[in-house]
Parts: sequence; structure tokens; C-alpha cells
Amino acid sequence: MEIQYFLTHEKLVEFSWPPIISEEILLELEKVTVYLKEVYGEGIKEIRKGYNILSLRLYVSISEQDCRDLIKEFKKLPQNDTIPTAITWRLPLVYGGEEGKDLVKLARIHDMDPEEIIQRHSNSVYRLYFYGFLPGFMYLGGMDPKLYTPRKESPERIISKGTVAIGGHQTGIYPMDSPGGWHAIGKCPVNFFDIKSNPPVLIQTGDCIRFVPIESQAFEEIRNLSSQGKYHLTHD
Amino acid sequence: MIKIPSYIHFIKPGMMTSVQDLGRFGMAGYGVPYSGAMDRFSLAQVNFLLANPKGAAALEMSNLGPEMVFERPTRIVFAGAEAEIMLNAKRKIKNGQVIEIMENDHILISNFKRGQWLYMGIQGGFETEEVAESKSWYPQITPRERMIKNDEICYLSEEERFYPPVEAKAKVRTDWYRPSKLMVFPGPEWGMLSQLLQNRILKKTFSISDLINRMAYQLTEEITNELPSILTAPVYPGTVQLTPSGKLLLLMRDAQVTGGYPRILQIDNVSLNVLSQKRSGEKIKFSILS
Repeated sequence: MEIQYFLTHEKLVEFSWPPIISEEILLELEKVTVYLKEVYGEGIKEIRKGYNILSLRLYVSISEQDCRDLIKEFKKLPQNDTIPTAITWRLPLVYGGEEGKDLVKLARIHDMDPEEIIQRHSNSVYRLYFYGFLPGFMYLGGMDPKLYTPRKESPERIISKGTVAIGGHQTGIYPMDSPGGWHAIGKCPVNFFDIKSNPPVLIQTGDCIRFVPIESQAFEEIRNLSSQGKYHLTHD
Repeated sequence: MIKIPSYIHFIKPGMMTSVQDLGRFGMAGYGVPYSGAMDRFSLAQVNFLLANPKGAAALEMSNLGPEMVFERPTRIVFAGAEAEIMLNAKRKIKNGQVIEIMENDHILISNFKRGQWLYMGIQGGFETEEVAESKSWYPQITPRERMIKNDEICYLSEEERFYPPVEAKAKVRTDWYRPSKLMVFPGPEWGMLSQLLQNRILKKTFSISDLINRMAYQLTEEITNELPSILTAPVYPGTVQLTPSGKLLLLMRDAQVTGGYPRILQIDNVSLNVLSQKRSGEKIKFSILS
């Protein structure tokens, strides 16, 4: 796959892969991240990722030639078919009702029953590509294309913490209250993000997620346990 | 030396008052912005004048300023924006003056004349809650995001002092943030713009709109363009985004870690401090660093 670089200045460079959402690229980004950490070690200030971009901030300087050499090295790295450490997490989720107030509307947009939306949404396995937008917000890939829905024309003032929503080609969980233009289809009772933990998230880049529909009674129970730190996510 | 936890009580909170240090690093991979002082140069100045560590937490303020009362003695100093700072309703304080604060001293800040952000450093820095190695306030990361009425923040007062109360006075200039020229690097999507649009952007004088906050400053003038959106990609404080509707967004310290608009320029660190002090209506120009 073609890899390009863009050197903003001598301490900020980004490497980019073709602009598509693909697991193959995610695997490459993970592989390259490990390699860069070996090469630059303490010289790295930060690595930030998008779907197809790895941005590298350095304490030390990097030249155009270094970038070209690095890309050559990236290409020599052994191919990975999977992320060996990846876990598939099961996330409890109550669909519809007050928590997912746009479910019925969304069903109407797609000319489906709400049940079908739930089925399609909970049947997929989603891959976590990276965190962005808000602290703890997961950019997930793998949604059923039949659920692709343009964002709302005007964003809602507040989408509450835990809301699961669909926007464009993506689905996501709001880790905190925030304005947002996505369609709310349900709510997850589990806390995913705790800035006081290190790392502040349980689900790592490259991990997978499966949504497990639950009833509203179970929602309250899980939420109480989760807020006391007594609920533990299960995985496959 | 005995240090007693003491409080500044806010009679009026001001509009955008918060505690900031150099920011929260190493958490961007989890979606957490850097935050930190909008004008890092002025933060460094107040800490230098008080012989504090470089990154000690200071109070960041903007129009309208706060009104506060100190519980116990300490020393403070101001830098950044030029505002009217009154001590006990009778003495005007200038930026750069190290002030010996006594019990129950009262400070009122109003009438911002120049610059956007004013910093008040305090001896030893503020003793507010540290989250992920930073005291910088950010919504839902720290317990507080903006100062509210009757709120308090903690500092350490030195009970016994081994030095006489001497007020040092350094001349803190503000002309460094007057220039309108901002030094920039081309951003990853700069090359997607036609030569014509690139020239237009570099020749144009822009003005800061009234959409100014810790996340971004929006410019008034628009640049009609046909750039496509990009796949969500990393952005930083100082990244200049060009939206499909032609708006230019200059990302600031609380910027999200990723964004989907083309990143046409990256503002140099020194110029980012200059930009932070620009007010609504002030002019800026971009100049490419070679």
C-alpha cells in the first residue's frame, strides 16, 4: 500500500495511507506505531492517529530523507493478519425508548422496523480505530452500510453521556454530555472513560466491540454497579 | 517554613476565568485535548517573576474580569492582557508588578483595554486538583471548568516570612502581541488548494470574528473553496481548518484532537501566543515560514 509523508516542520510529521477506512490500514498503523517507538523511544513527544494517518510529534528533529527512509523500513515490516492482543468486548445497550429517542425516526428514514435497526446494529462487530472528538470517544468501523444515515442538519444541544448514536457511516457512544448531530438509538450504562485511571480507557485501539441488547431493568442495575466500579465488561 | 492552605474567594467569577498551567500531555491518544494557558508566554512571565516553576498553575482571565478576596498573605503578579486591576479599590496595579498581598486584600479586574487573556501568577502556583498531571481546567476532565460565583481556589500562604515585604517591579511589555503577521507552516492539505487560492489566503488581511473561545478562533472573512472533507485526522492547537462553507477555524489550546476539515496551515508556537491575545475585530495575516 502506498505510504506518503507530510513534514509540517522538523518536529511534526504525518504518514498517510490511502484515505479509506480499512482494517488492513489499521493493522499497518499499529505495526508502524510499535516500530516508531522502537526507533525513536524517548524522542517521541506524541503519536496521534486517524483512520489512515499517523501523526508523529518529536522532541528531536526529522528530515525529509529520514521520512523517506522510515517509509522504506515500514514496508519491510512483517505482515500481520490480526492484532494479537485484540479483544472483542460485549457492550450492554438498551435500544429505543427515552434513551434512543431517534430510533423510530431512523427506522422511518430507512423504511425498516425499529427491530430491524436493532438487529443490524447489534449483529455487527465493530473495530476501534482511534479515540477523538471528545475524551474517550471511540471512532468505530464496521457498521452495516444499510444503517448509513446523514447527520442531523442542526446538532442537538446536549446528547447525554452513554448515548449510542449513528452519524454518517459511523456509530459511536458519547462518553460524556456533549452537543452532537448524530441520531440517538440507545444508551449504554457502562462508564468507559475514567481520566483518573491509567490508561483512562479499557478498550484499546484495535479492539472490537459487539453491542448486546438489554432491557431497561438491567440497564439500571448495570449503571449502578458501573458507577461503583463493580461492573466488569465481558469479552469473547 | 510553614505553608498554610488558603483560599481566594471569588465575589464575581468573571466571564472566562479558569486555572491553567502548561497543559495535559500524553492523553491525546484517548481523545483528551492539551488545554493549558492560551498565552503560554504570559504564563511563563508571571511564573518567572515569582521564581515559580515554569509550569506552575496560574489564573487565566478575560473580559469581564473577576472580583476576589485573599484569605492570607501571598505574592501575586499579572501579565498578558492590559486591564484595570484595582487593589482594595484604591490602588491601580500594573502588569509585572509583584504585589505583596495581605489578609483580606481585595482585587477587582475590569475594563480590558488590550489583549484577550490576563494571567495572575501566585507564589508557588495554585494548589487546585491535578488530573492526569495537569491542573488545567477542562470540561468533564477536571471537577471545574470555569470559575463560578462564590467559588474558591487554594494556594499556600507562608505564615512566617524571612524576607521583608519588597515589591519588585518588572516592565512587562505588551507590544509583542501587536503584530498582525502570524508565522505559519503549510498544513497537510495546503497542497490541495489551487495556487490562486493559496495566494489569496497569503495576501489577504483577515479579521478575528466574535466567535472566540478556548477551542478555536473563527475568522470573519471566508474563502470560497471546493476542497473535499477529509477522513477524520489529527489536529493540534495552531491548526488552521478550512470548512466547505469557507470558514477559517484557528484551533486553540482546548482543540479536539482530531477533525474532519482540511488542515491548510499550522501556526507557529510563538505566533499562537500572539494570536491568542487578538481580540474580536483585530487583523491578522498569514506568512509562510521558509
